[in-house]
Amino acid sequence: MDELYSLADRTGLDLPPGLERLFVIEEILDTLEEDSEDRRESRGDAVHVDEKKYFGLSAGDYDLDPGPGEVLAKRYNETMIRAIARDPSWAFAYWDVSDADLESMRGDESSAGLFLRVAELGSAEPRGSAAESRNPADEAHKDFFDIPVADLDSQWYINLPRSGVRFRIDLCARRGGPAGKIKVLARSNEVESPRQGIASPPESLSAEARELLALSGVEDLSFYPEGDSNPLRLLPSGFARPSNRAD
Amino acid sequence: MESAYLALVLNAHMPFVKRPEFPRFLEERWLFEAISETYLPLLRVFRSLEADSVPFRLSLSISPTLAAMLGDKAMGDRYVAYLDAQLALGEAELSRVGGDPAFEPLARMYRDLYRADKDDFQDLYGRDILGAFDYFYKKGRIELMTSCATHAFLPIFRDCREAVTSQIETAIISHRKIFGKQPLGFWLPNLGWYPGVGEVLRSYNAQYTIVTTKGALLGEPTPARGSFAPVECPSGLSVFVRDLGATQAVWSESSGYPADPVYRDFYRDIGFDLPIDYLRSHLEDSGSRIFTGFKYWAVTGRTELKRPYDPAAAAAKAVEHAARFLAERTASAESSAALLDRPPIMVCPFDAELFGHWWFEGLAFLEALFRRAALCPLRLVSLGEYLKDYPVNQVSQPEYSSWGDGGFGEVWLDGSNDWIYRHASKAVERMSELAERFPDESGLRERILNQASREVLLSMCSDWALLMRAGKSSAFARRQVEEPIANFGRIYDMLCSNTVSTEWLTRLEKRDNLFPSINYRMFRRKR
Repeated sequence: MDELYSLADRTGLDLPPGLERLFVIEEILDTLEEDSEDRRESRGDAVHVDEKKYFGLSAGDYDLDPGPGEVLAKRYNETMIRAIARDPSWAFAYWDVSDADLESMRGDESSAGLFLRVAELGSAEPRGSAAESRNPADEAHKDFFDIPVADLDSQWYINLPRSGVRFRIDLCARRGGPAGKIKVLARSNEVESPRQGIASPPESLSAEARELLALSGVEDLSFYPEGDSNPLRLLPSGFARPSNRAD
Repeated sequence: MESAYLALVLNAHMPFVKRPEFPRFLEERWLFEAISETYLPLLRVFRSLEADSVPFRLSLSISPTLAAMLGDKAMGDRYVAYLDAQLALGEAELSRVGGDPAFEPLARMYRDLYRADKDDFQDLYGRDILGAFDYFYKKGRIELMTSCATHAFLPIFRDCREAVTSQIETAIISHRKIFGKQPLGFWLPNLGWYPGVGEVLRSYNAQYTIVTTKGALLGEPTPARGSFAPVECPSGLSVFVRDLGATQAVWSESSGYPADPVYRDFYRDIGFDLPIDYLRSHLEDSGSRIFTGFKYWAVTGRTELKRPYDPAAAAAKAVEHAARFLAERTASAESSAALLDRPPIMVCPFDAELFGHWWFEGLAFLEALFRRAALCPLRLVSLGEYLKDYPVNQVSQPEYSSWGDGGFGEVWLDGSNDWIYRHASKAVERMSELAERFPDESGLRERILNQASREVLLSMCSDWALLMRAGKSSAFARRQVEEPIANFGRIYDMLCSNTVSTEWLTRLEKRDNLFPSINYRMFRRKR
C-alpha cells in the first residue's frame, strides 16, 4: 500500500490514509486517464487531423466478410514471446505456449504455473551492433521482477520501472512451488524504454544551447522527471483505453 | 547568406481503399474528397503562383498507397463518377437555395469547385495528378519525398528488420518508378522514429527525414542548436526537427488558426442537416447519412446557432493568418539567430489534407504565405536545398518518438488495436520464410509470392490502428487488417500444400494491385 500511495502522490493525487487498495488503484487509473485526455487535448492535434480524413464514414453496410476459411487464427501454436515498447512507462508483450508445451506442463504435477520475468539489461546505450555484442554474463546482475500470468493469458501491458533502459522478458514456467526450478520457455526481443528526460546534463550545455532549447519549446514538452521506481508494474491489457471514449 | 529559412513540408497520404467489387464504395470517398478539396486545389495554387512568378518552395511527401490510387485507371473512372454526382448535387442545391442571399452563393461556390476539379482532372491533367505534381518537381518548385509503402508505424516493428526494410525498399522503388528519381527525403509515417531506423534509411540512400521536437530534444547528445538546425544521426542521415511554434499555430484544434469563428465549419454538412428523402439520391446505396462536402456554416463558436459562411471574410482571415504566421516565425528566427552560428531553419510539417479538406481556407492560407514570404526576411527552402548549403550538422541520435498523442507509440498500440501486431509480425516472419524457401521463382509461383508480399505490407498500415483507437470506422478498419492477413495466410497454405487457386489469385491481384514491380525477395533475411 505504501508504494501505491507513493505512486498516487507522484501522479498528483492527495489521498487520505486508510483507503481500500482497490479504491486507490481506481483513483490512480482515473488520473492517468484524465492525464491522457489532457495530453490528447494539447499534443495529439496532428493525429486528430489525421482522423478528420476519415470522418463520418462507416462500412457497416457493406458485406466485407472475408469468406469461409479466411477467419484469422487466434494463435499460431508456438511457444514464443515478443515485446514492443510503447512509451517510457509501458511495454506490450504477447506470447503463446504451444499445445505440446502446455500438455507437458499440465502433465507435470510439480508445475506451478507461468510467469513473466522482466529483466533490466542496462542503459539503452550502446545501440545497434555494439549492443548485439554485449556479453550476456554482464547482464546477470541486473534487476528483474516477476509477474505471474494465467495459462489462458496471452498478452499484458507491463509497467516498466525506469525509462531509458533496455529490457527483456522471459516467459517462464516454475516447477515445484514458489522456490522451485524455473524453466525459460521463450525469450523476447530486447526492448528499449525511451528516455523521457534531456540526455545531456544542463550544466554541460552552453548558455546559448540552453536558451535555444527553451526557444525550441523544451519547457512545453512535458519531459517528466525520472522516477525511482514504479510499483504499478503491470496492468491488464487494455487498461486506460481512451479509444473507448466517444470523441 | 540568408537570415533565416522556412521549410514547409506536406504529407499527402491516403490508405489503400480500392474496392472495385462494389459499384460504389464509401471509403473511396476519403480519396475523392482529398483529391477534390486538397490535391487539385493545391495544384491550382501552384499554377497561380507560377503564373505570377512567385518563387515558392515546398517539400511534399506523396505516400506510395496514395500514388498507387492516383495512378490507377479504375479509380480515375470512379473519381469522375463521384464528381458527376457532386455536380448533380450542386445543381440540386442551387435550385433548393436559389434566391437566398446567404446560401445561393455558397451552393454556387461548391458547384464551381467540382466543375473546376473535373476540368482540371479530365482536361488539364488528362487524369494524371501524379504527372501534374511531377511537373513542379521537375521545375524545382517542389521537392517530392516518399514515405513507407503502406504507412506502417515503424517503431512497433523495430525488432523485425524485414518489416522495416520492406516498407522502405518498396516505397523508394515505387517512387523511382513513378517519378524517375531517387527521393532525397523519406517521410516517416506519424513522424515515427526509433534509434536504428536512420541506419536503414541511409542504407537505401535516403538523405533526410523529419522528427518531432520532442524526439530530437530527447536525443543523445542533446542538440545544441535546438530545433533550429537538423542533426545528423550516426548513420549520416540528416534529421530535421519540427518547429513547435509553427505546429501549434496551425494544428491546434482549439487555438489554432482553423478554429477561427469566421472559417467554414467542417462538421455542419447538409448530409446531416437536410431531410433524408431529399438526400437519398445523392447518398450511397445504403442510404446512410454521410458528409457531402456541402457545408454552409461558419465555425462561429461553441454554439449550435451558427452564422452562415462568408467566403470573402474567411479568405481575408486566411491572408491575415498567413501574415501572422510569417511574423511569428520571423520573430522566432530573430530570437534564435543571435544564439546560432548559422541562420536558423524552421521546419513546418503538416498533413496535406489539413489544407482544403479539413481547414477549407488552408490553401488560401498557403497561397498567401507563399506570396508574402517573397517579401519578408525568411527564405522558403526545400529540405534538400538546405542540406546543400549546410551539409554538416551536429551528430545526435533522436529518441523514439512520434507526433501522436503522448509523443511515443500509444496511439498505435493500445487495447483497441494491439491484436494487429501478433498477426502482422507473424505474416512478415512467414513471408521471410517463403522468400528463403523460394528464392528464385518465376511464373505463377512468383506472382503468388509477390501478391503475398503486397498483402503483408497492407496488413502493417497504421491508419487502421488509428481508426480503431478513435472508434471511427473501426469495423471497417479491422477488416482492412484482417483481410490482408487472411489473404496472406491462404497464400502461405497454398504454397505449403502446393495447390493454387489461380482464379482467386487473379481476382486478388486485380484488386490489391499496388506496387506492380514488387519483388518478394526483399523479404529474404538480411545477413
